Amino acid sequence: MKRDWKRKIIGGLCLTSIAFVFQACYGTPQDFGNDLLIEGHVKSKKTGLPIKGIKVSVADKVQYTNTDENGKFSFYMEKIQNPKIKFTDIGSTENIFFLNKDTIVTIKDSVLMSKQPKVYLNIELENK
Amino acid sequence: MVTKLKQVLFREFKKSETKHHELNYLFWECTTRCNLNCRHCGSDCSKDSFYKDMPLDDFLKALDTIESPSENFTVVLTGGEPLLRKDIEICGREIRKRGMRWSMVSNGYLYDNEKHISLLNAGLGALTISIDGLESSHNWLRNNDKSFERVDNAIGLAASSSRLNFDVVTCVNKRNFQELEEIRKYLIQKGVKAWRLFTIIPIGRAKEDDEMFLTDNQFIELMDFISESRTRNDIDVKFSCEGFVGKYELKVRDSNFFCRAGINIGSILIDGSISACPNIDRTFAQGNIYKDNFFSVWQTKYELFRDRSWTKTGKCAECEDYKNCQGNGFHYWHGEKKNVLVCHNERLKKTTNR
Repeated sequence: MKRDWKRKIIGGLCLTSIAFVFQACYGTPQDFGNDLLIEGHVKSKKTGLPIKGIKVSVADKVQYTNTDENGKFSFYMEKIQNPKIKFTDIGSTENIFFLNKDTIVTIKDSVLMSKQPKVYLNIELENK
Repeated sequence: MVTKLKQVLFREFKKSETKHHELNYLFWECTTRCNLNCRHCGSDCSKDSFYKDMPLDDFLKALDTIESPSENFTVVLTGGEPLLRKDIEICGREIRKRGMRWSMVSNGYLYDNEKHISLLNAGLGALTISIDGLESSHNWLRNNDKSFERVDNAIGLAASSSRLNFDVVTCVNKRNFQELEEIRKYLIQKGVKAWRLFTIIPIGRAKEDDEMFLTDNQFIELMDFISESRTRNDIDVKFSCEGFVGKYELKVRDSNFFCRAGINIGSILIDGSISACPNIDRTFAQGNIYKDNFFSVWQTKYELFRDRSWTKTGKCAECEDYKNCQGNGFHYWHGEKKNVLVCHNERLKKTTNR
């Protein structure tokens, strides 16, 4: 901690606050972790069984994933306060169809401010 | 006067950083396979690498030796071409599971919409894609007729992401030198926010090819181009941190030259070697993850990186700017290490004084 102060004071005196932000010659810019992890699982409201193959997407973003055989999903997305996550049946099973669902996820400030923000969603879909 | 004071303070800052050598940035040379055959490749990568890709578990064992990673600790996947690995997303997720961040350097050839999404899903946070000219000069350098078309698509995708800290790099050579302004306009039109320019190191395949290297006058023009571009606010243009550029120092980049190889930057290379930036002469390896504890090596070795007084030899021996430069970029010391391979400052002075 003491060293951090010393480092910041000397760096600040150099009049180059960006002294702490660097990238190796042939490397990438640094990542400042502006994202959050969305995890969860999707099951049938009627049977309680997990549903495979549900498309989980972020409204107005390109990102999506599909639930696995245990109905689970996991992805990182840009850190925003109340993301809308969409659940769409794109052919999960042969004979049953599920109603699509949109969920606005309310994320507490304390979660957003944490080092690794993470949200877990339990989603139940109704039959069509 | 202010410049001198800044230089003194910056030297103190470098001393402090060197003394504490916090590991912030770790390259992982996860493959040396490559889908291109670029004329300027410093590592002579090819489709059939002598080395097999490093198994993820081997890398993770080394990564797990790091005690209390620093706040913005980032693992940078590099190669070869990292996207040739089928398990790249798994690699990324495993890094994120450990509370660390990851990024990637790519030639963009395999970076399509599907890959863009799967990498974002896996927590990719920063990305660098290289483009080396407009279509014909890029394809010429990359030895591939479809290369520009592919990288153009990749740049569009990456630039559209508000999540990614994304930049484009260009290796400036005789052929693309006249295109710089056009490339700048092209990148702005693609929505790119940051562009880094390099010169080419005379190693690997590039060594014998004169077209790769700028003349001294062209090098000055490059500095002027960057300096002038930085006065406009349409894209963040900078010269890479490859070397000390004397009077152009704060005109062509945000901060003074500071080669952090072995000070804040480490690497795990394809054969398990522990070093700093992957383009550094491999004889500088400090250990090997297959027999040494990675973090212990980071903490206790790297003497040649942290005390660069040995570079005060050859043309550096009598240089009046040595204290600000300290032997230029570490990657310019190869072979016998009796002389620095390239001195940017000398080129600038020589040309200015003509």
